[in-house]
Amino acid sequence: MTEALAAALAAEEAAIYAYGLIGVRLTARAEVTAARAAELEHRERRDWLINQIAALKSSSGPLPAGYTLPFPVTDRDSALDLAIKIEDGVAQSWRPVLGVTENDDRTTALAALTDAAVRAVRWRRLNAVAPLTMAFPGRAG
Amino acid sequence: MVLTGAVRMSEVGHTRRWVLGAGLMLTGGLAGCGSDADSPTPVDALQPLLDEALTLAIAYDRAILSLPDLATRLSPLAADHRAHAAELATLIGRTTPTSASASSPASAMSAGATADEVIAAFQTAEQSAAKNAVAACRATTALRAGTVGSIAACRATHVEALR
Repeated sequence: MTEALAAALAAEEAAIYAYGLIGVRLTARAEVTAARAAELEHRERRDWLINQIAALKSSSGPLPAGYTLPFPVTDRDSALDLAIKIEDGVAQSWRPVLGVTENDDRTTALAALTDAAVRAVRWRRLNAVAPLTMAFPGRAG
Repeated sequence: MVLTGAVRMSEVGHTRRWVLGAGLMLTGGLAGCGSDADSPTPVDALQPLLDEALTLAIAYDRAILSLPDLATRLSPLAADHRAHAAELATLIGRTTPTSASASSPASAMSAGATADEVIAAFQTAEQSAAKNAVAACRATTALRAGTVGSIAACRATHVEALR
């Protein structure tokens, strides 16, 4: 269980880092607001995961010293592409949590997966990426 | 299961909500009855989710036939539901039914509905379907939770895609 939670935590930490970069490349007020809201949601999910891991009397391991971006983020389009990639990755990290949780905790994990998938759709729409949806959000490949 | 806003249908005098709801209930009911009659095996807990996926896929197909301008927008959503049906059939251990139900909801929507009305009806249907999938994910086994969760998330993304 801890392994799945730790992987989700790592993805949420990466998302928080990424949105710091994404935000500075966006200029439209609605996009900046959406990026800030997304970052806040990722912080809330991170805190929930930290509490869950602490309750298991376990450790998530050290955070990486830095992150390597999958591509340079130099403008709005690349910032939106990164947002899509980040949210898809976060969704993937939460899916294994579903199988190791039950009841309210599973519902929380599903909400995290779903929220990431919905944000990815919004970013795809803003960057004119089609199709907007995928059949199995959170499934790798 | 409430699926749509209440838009009056001129010829038949029923609201679209009524027709859509009846269509889905009939489809689910028939699936359950058929299983009970043909086999002593109990209906799998995910069978209603499979039935709902097929019904929605068929509804999208029929809406596209009626309003071809919506094809680009709706076809990917239909394909998602078909993928869900196939995956669920594998999980359940059954063959995916391929025939269209005469009572599927888009046959009602094609009766003079505008594109905006059809989109609004599908938004409501997807919201309801997403709630059903969330409940199914909460109740299912650890082994199935990932797949059912992805289906729930996908249905939620459909609501967003239809905005």
